[in-house]
Amino acid sequence: MSSSTSVGTGEHPAVVLTGITKRFPGVVANSDVHLTVRRGEVHALCGENGAGKSTLMKILYGMQPPDEGTIEVNGEQVRFRTPSDAIKAGIGMVHQHFMLADNLTVQENVVLGAEALHGIGQKARRRIIELSGKTGLNVDPGVLVEQLGVADRQRVEILKVLYRGAKVIILDEPTAVLVPQEVNELFDTVRGMQEQGYTFLFISHKLDEVRAIADSVTVIRRGTTVGSADPKTVSSRQLAEMMVGSELPSPETRESTVTDTVVLDVKGLRLMTPDGSRPILDDIDMVVRSGEVVGIAGVEGNGQTELVETIMGMRKAGSGTITLQDQDLTKLGTLARREAGIGYVPEDRHRHGLLLTQPLWYNRILGYQTRRPTAKGIWLDTDGAKKDTERIVADFDVRTPGIDVPAAALSGGNQQKLVVGRELSGDPVLLIASHPTRGVDVGAQALIWDEIKRARAAGLAVLLISADLDELIGLSDTIKVMLRGRLVADADPSTVTPEDLGSAMTGAGSTSAAVQETAVVEEGEN
Amino acid sequence: MISTLEEKPHIPAAPRKRKVPGWAVAMLGVAGAIALLSITSYQTNFPQLTSSGTTQTAVRLALPILLAGLGGLWAERAGVVNIGLEGMMIMGTWGAAWAGYQWGPWAALVAAVVFGSLGGLLHAIATVTFGVNHIVSGVAINLLGAGLTKYLSTLIFLPLSNNPRQSPPVQSFDTFSAAGLGDWLGELEADQRLFISDVAGILRGLVTGVSPLTMIAILLLPLSYWLLWRTRFGLRLRSVGENPHAADSLGVKVYFHKYVAVIVSGGLAGLGGAALVLNPGQLSYLEGQTGGRGYIGLAAMIFGNWRPGGLLGGAALFGYADGLQLRSGGETVLALVYGVVLLLGVIVVWQLFRRKWFSAAAAIAVAVLMYLLYISLDEIPSEFVSYAPHMVTLAVLAVASQRLRMPAADGLVYRRG
Repeated sequence: MSSSTSVGTGEHPAVVLTGITKRFPGVVANSDVHLTVRRGEVHALCGENGAGKSTLMKILYGMQPPDEGTIEVNGEQVRFRTPSDAIKAGIGMVHQHFMLADNLTVQENVVLGAEALHGIGQKARRRIIELSGKTGLNVDPGVLVEQLGVADRQRVEILKVLYRGAKVIILDEPTAVLVPQEVNELFDTVRGMQEQGYTFLFISHKLDEVRAIADSVTVIRRGTTVGSADPKTVSSRQLAEMMVGSELPSPETRESTVTDTVVLDVKGLRLMTPDGSRPILDDIDMVVRSGEVVGIAGVEGNGQTELVETIMGMRKAGSGTITLQDQDLTKLGTLARREAGIGYVPEDRHRHGLLLTQPLWYNRILGYQTRRPTAKGIWLDTDGAKKDTERIVADFDVRTPGIDVPAAALSGGNQQKLVVGRELSGDPVLLIASHPTRGVDVGAQALIWDEIKRARAAGLAVLLISADLDELIGLSDTIKVMLRGRLVADADPSTVTPEDLGSAMTGAGSTSAAVQETAVVEEGEN
Repeated sequence: MISTLEEKPHIPAAPRKRKVPGWAVAMLGVAGAIALLSITSYQTNFPQLTSSGTTQTAVRLALPILLAGLGGLWAERAGVVNIGLEGMMIMGTWGAAWAGYQWGPWAALVAAVVFGSLGGLLHAIATVTFGVNHIVSGVAINLLGAGLTKYLSTLIFLPLSNNPRQSPPVQSFDTFSAAGLGDWLGELEADQRLFISDVAGILRGLVTGVSPLTMIAILLLPLSYWLLWRTRFGLRLRSVGENPHAADSLGVKVYFHKYVAVIVSGGLAGLGGAALVLNPGQLSYLEGQTGGRGYIGLAAMIFGNWRPGGLLGGAALFGYADGLQLRSGGETVLALVYGVVLLLGVIVVWQLFRRKWFSAAAAIAVAVLMYLLYISLDEIPSEFVSYAPHMVTLAVLAVASQRLRMPAADGLVYRRG
């Protein structure tokens, strides 16, 4: 890297934040935050969701100005008004939700906004190919981003930042979307780049990962930095306790409550792609019993979403039967299935779970528009809905100024608590929980886990889909591995490790005693 | 053991290379269309289908649609749905007539662009700054365009032309023809030889009576392509239509690009209005003159999959349908039905080849229906003929709109932060 010799020689730290305070109407997002990032290190910033990490990073990246405090980059005080100012100072950000235009090529995405560097033609293309190696991206720059998988999209994001000459790279929850093997590849990339002098600010609440990759850790709680730690010596538990300021929960449920009563019985379920060329769900057989949590592990896009949506009646199965407590659901619509006793925590609460612009009590009615306490006969019962929303807010510790605020005003964790509270209302016999703690903070996660455990102890059958393998192993009584639309293996959660599961999920050959092939799996035709 | 499967899931799709380059596909399409028309005109004995006169009229009528479609392309590539093209076009017709009868055709063009741009500016203010739903704002602009021009015509044109619905005559452009080439092509056309005469007729139509406006419009197409796909400005504009949040995070001025796009869009639609006013057959503003051509332009753009090349194809198709019915009436349009049957035959073979039984069956059914229509009628009823372009629009959109890819953030209101 001859083009950027300015960094890497001085003694100044790469980034120093001093006394940063940021207020929004009604909340203090950051108060008196201090953070020092040394050059060439991987510095982790840990904290619960809503602790103020994102706001802090937005300030550092010039998306929002701080109310008080100073930012120093390489020893010089700077003031960022826009992200371009931050980029000029050598700071780049890889957002948690990818900022990519799917219908543009890799090259177009990378050069966008930085056309002045190498134009948008052949010169830019050569530069991109040159930098691709550092990020481990092996695709032609002319490929559309929509054709890339999640890990490669992330590499494109890193490439964007490199292309602009950033030396300090903010990674905002980079592992949230990756499976363990991909996380390892990402960490290899990060270490490789670290050796070449890049500095990383790694935001995460996955503490094992933080300890694996970081050189130093700063913990942020309720908007302020509460201390630093050496990841080599501190335990995940200690770190987590710093984050929440108290004792910690775990997903573990070891005492079995599994009964013999079959609640959900899926037989021979098949679903084809819309063009009918190949199956998305291929002959799924599955049983969930009362008091049992059945976990589905799998790399995203292998049919888990479709399985859940087919059981919920949102997609029409090609063949097969779905039975809930001796009632044949196969031909029923989604509402009828819900009324039969299925609660459903959707994987994307913004798309399927909530109406973000509507008040909380209104959201309580969704899916219960035909049942008490939110309806009387053909009329909606708004009083009943409001009263029951108050109950959920109290029982599930939904932190909100009131039940009349729109759902969008709540943090992700509180939104999810509301959804879980709603779906556990009305005594369901089966709960389908898709990624129930995705993108929520430790506190909300603990509460959701507790509620699922409690409902399970009371005889609820649970179908759990999660990308968080610790959660899956901790909560489940049985784990099934899904690959290309089939359930290819069973795993025993008391013995299996995340690595074993990860291998099984990607179809890699490695195996262990804890993961067992379920049925005869024929080789796919393609 | 976990059974080993050869490949991992989530491998990024291999770079998909197009087997045939885009321009070759386009050339093939043009050749196919001419061949189809040629066979149809030979079989049905209607040389008008490919005569130079029809082509000339088709070009004239395709111009407003092409320009409106280009306007739609600009706006929608920046993520703003512009259903208000019709209204901006109406404003363009009025502006062209108002300036045209006083200062000549060039002034008409300028005024049309200005008036159309004003409509675009209004749409931009409503949708970009105030976050009004794009359809609502567009419909409002259509109503406003019609109402405003009615008011202005009564105010200004009535004393001059004694007709509140019409402007005084506008001076037309001088047109150019490639004389030598045209005559030679004319001889070839007169020979009535299969294919060669048809090609000659179409070419002769294209090089005869060309007005400066036609040339400008034709040049605007590659110019728009170059600006939108080959420059930094265009990349930014398109990124705003695909993912404005990503664009904003990279320092692209989202609002600015949307404003520019929508204003240019209005200007192009206004120019389309001028093309109607300066049409040699008419040469004045008439109330209701646009007749939904703004919408048809939008449809042509959608048919063209939000690409300039496809848009040209769409505009040519609609212009041709319009030109044919104006020029030759019901009998020839009926001959076109025969052409559609031929086309459907090709589609059936193609679908059978791809083993799409359902599509093939549907195509056969439609083909049989069309053929029955063709042999049972002597001519399409004249009441119906004038709606030919609209019917073509409907049919084409219903069939073609399945595999289209619009800009991802098209029609979404963007808010910073």
